[in-house]
Amino acid sequence: MSNFTKAAQQWASFSKIWYLIDAKMQPPGKIATMCSVRLQGKHKPIYHALSDCGDHVVVVNTRHIAFSGNKWEQKVYSSHSGYPGGFKQVTAAQLHQKDPTAAIPDEILKNLVEELPQPRHVPRRLNEYTQEEINAFPRLWTLPDDYRMK
Amino acid sequence: MVSVVLFRSILNPFRQRLPLSQTILFTQTREKKRWMKSYMLLMERKKKLEGPPAPKPRSQQPNWDYHAEVEAFGQRLYETFNLDLLKIAFINPCYITFEEARRRELRLDKENITLNLKDNRELFEKGSLFTDAYLHGCFSRAYPNLPDDGVKALTSHLTGSQIVCHVARSLSVEDLILSAEFPVPQEVLQKTFFAVVGALLESSGPERASLFIRDFLITQLIGKDLFELWPLVNPMGLLVEELKKRKVSLPEPRLTRQSGAGTVLPVYFVGLYSDKQLIAEGPGETVLSAEEEAARVALRKIYGYTENRRPWDYSSPKKEPVAAKALSS
Repeated sequence: MSNFTKAAQQWASFSKIWYLIDAKMQPPGKIATMCSVRLQGKHKPIYHALSDCGDHVVVVNTRHIAFSGNKWEQKVYSSHSGYPGGFKQVTAAQLHQKDPTAAIPDEILKNLVEELPQPRHVPRRLNEYTQEEINAFPRLWTLPDDYRMK
Repeated sequence: MVSVVLFRSILNPFRQRLPLSQTILFTQTREKKRWMKSYMLLMERKKKLEGPPAPKPRSQQPNWDYHAEVEAFGQRLYETFNLDLLKIAFINPCYITFEEARRRELRLDKENITLNLKDNRELFEKGSLFTDAYLHGCFSRAYPNLPDDGVKALTSHLTGSQIVCHVARSLSVEDLILSAEFPVPQEVLQKTFFAVVGALLESSGPERASLFIRDFLITQLIGKDLFELWPLVNPMGLLVEELKKRKVSLPEPRLTRQSGAGTVLPVYFVGLYSDKQLIAEGPGETVLSAEEEAARVALRKIYGYTENRRPWDYSSPKKEPVAAKALSS
C-alpha cells in the first residue's frame, strides 16, 4: 500500500469497487441498508459527503426478495404526484408485481470484484436435505398406527 | 489634520497684538472631506496602471547594517564563521564588474575605480566539490543497493538550482548577496550558497560543514519519492537486470485484483512473482501501467527506498569519550 507512485496511490484509493449481492430470500430492508452504506461510501475511511467516493452494488434475484410477517399485504408505499387527486397508495405485493428483472449483462459481470455476504441466513427446506441426513437425525418417538393428527 | 500657517502678528483673546515669527499649527478636523473620494479613486487607478511596485533589495530598505546582518547570519545558524571569509562568499564577480563599470561612468580616479574586493569563485568551487562528495558518500552508505545512476540523480537533485535557491532564500542569503541584478538570478544564488558552504568549510572544518549540508539539504528529501527525483524510462528492464545480478528468477506478472474492467475508470492490481513468491504489487488504470508500477515498487524495495525505511539520522554527533588517564600518585 505504501511505496506506490503518488498518482498510482491516488488512483487506487479513489477507485470504485463493484459489489454483487444475492437478494434471494433476504429481507429487503437489510439489503437496502447494506447497499446504501456502500453506495454512499460510508464504509471507507476517506468518506466525505461532497466527494464522489461511493461504490457500485449490483443486486441480483430481487424477484425472490422476502418480507417477513404479513408485510406483503400490510406494507403500503404512498406517493403524491403533486396534482389534486394524485395520492397513490400501493401495497408491497402490488409494487413487486410491476418490478421487472433481467439477467446481468456481460459488461457488468466483468466489473464485479466481490460478493457481499447475505444479511439473513436462509434455512434449508426439508427437500434440500439428503435422505441420509434425514435418517441420521435423532427421532424423539415414532407415531403409533392409530394416532389421529389434528 | 490641517496645518495652519499663522501671520506675523496674532490677536490673543484679550485683543492684544502679539508679534510672532511664522508658526505652523497642526490641528485636526474630523469632517467628511469632499476631495478624499476622488483622490483615492485616482490613486487606485494609478496603482492599477502601474502594477505592483518593483521589489527592492533589503539593503536598500531602511534599517540595514551590513556588518551586523552578516554577524547575525552566522549566529542564527549556530555556526562560527570567519566573517571576512563570509563577506567574501557573498561577493559575486558580476557585482565587481558592475561596480567598476559604474565608477568608470562616474569618471572617478584610476585608483578609485578598481575595487580591492575578492570574489567568491574559489569558495564556490571548494564548497561545490565538498557538497557533491559528501552527498555522494552519504547516499552510497545509506542505500548500498542503489546504483550509481540513482545516487547521482539524488545528488544532482539536491544540488540543483531549485532546491538550493529555496534553501538559500529561506536562510536569507538573498538579502546579504552582493550582485549586479536584483532580483538575484537563480545561478548566482546557487553559486553564493555553495560559496557560503565553502566559507564554513574553511572556517570551522569539514565536520561542521557536513552537518550544515545534512541539516539543510538532506531534509529537503523528506516526503519525496525516489522515482520523482530519478526519472526512469524502463523500470521493468532495470528490474530484470537487478534480479539477474542477484541470481533471482525473472519476474512473472499476474493480475491479482481488478475492478470496473468494463468501465472508463478501471483499476487493476498486477503482482510480480519470482519463483512463485510475490515480490511486489502495483495498481494502475490499465494492465500495462499496473505492471510498470509493480516494477517500480519492486525496485524501491530492492534499493531500500521504501516509505517504511529508517528515517535519516539527524542526531548531533557524540563526542568520543577521552580515555581517562590513570592517576599516578
